Amino acid sequence: MKPRLDSTALDALLVNAYVSATTEVLKTMVGLDVGMKGISASPKYTPVGDISAIIGVTGESGEGMLGISFPMSLATLVVSRLLSLPPQKINSDDRCDAIGELANMITGKAKMSLMQEGASPYKLSLPTIILGAGHGISTHPKNTPFLVMTFEMEGEEFNLQVCFKMNG
Amino acid sequence: MSAINNQTRVLVVDDSTVLRKVIIGILKDLNVIADNITEAGDGVEGVKMALSQPFNIILMDWNMPNMLGIDAVKAIRQAGVKTPILMVTTEGERQNVITAIQAGANSYLVKPFTGDDLRERIEQILAQFSAG
Repeated sequence: MKPRLDSTALDALLVNAYVSATTEVLKTMVGLDVGMKGISASPKYTPVGDISAIIGVTGESGEGMLGISFPMSLATLVVSRLLSLPPQKINSDDRCDAIGELANMITGKAKMSLMQEGASPYKLSLPTIILGAGHGISTHPKNTPFLVMTFEMEGEEFNLQVCFKMNG
Repeated sequence: MSAINNQTRVLVVDDSTVLRKVIIGILKDLNVIADNITEAGDGVEGVKMALSQPFNIILMDWNMPNMLGIDAVKAIRQAGVKTPILMVTTEGERQNVITAIQAGANSYLVKPFTGDDLRERIEQILAQFSAG
């Protein structure tokens, strides 16, 4: 039987898995280098930008969620590179769809890493997109802080936030 | 000579319109003509398309609304359609790959992928099938 992870070990696993997944997905799909700016904890979801993709996580060991947040200008740049179109040709539907799909890829990639490290199987929801400056979310596991990973790409910041509450 | 050409007919099943555009862009770069590419936005539509016209290959996402890609693969095989199916998905765990192959998928590509990754996988499948 695997020893139960303490919260510090779980945080380190989550950070490693999500930083690697974010870097790889954006490099592979849009050819951009991502730099790590910092990691912090927050009691609530704190987006840096105008658009977020939220994915729910449920499994036998617990539940949680992930959110990835971009400023609109950076989201537009990412989608324009993904579709090889000039930024002015990117519409809102494409932007929302693409940010959701990138969030899917990042969570999928991180899930593979976490399961290789011994995490129990878990399921991911389809992404929900939230728009608007200063947006937030009202539901997440109680008393579970978000791990906030802040990245830099093309001179702008975006962040990825994960919270996971273990059962018991 | 490439197994992909302007006669290749492809069905792209993915709920992300942007991902379908990305895949279609890669297919066009490989000389697949637009008229030979059909899109479906979920498993139900994918099954309907797969059963209504011939394709050389089907590219199938896993997580989609209305019907999962894995269930679409099962439905397509149960209907007797033998078109090769490439799963293109974020579901990269080994058990999912095994489940997909057992359901009737022929190959598996985990997102994220490059244009070269997709081309190589499609060529591999088409070469296998054209060799009989």
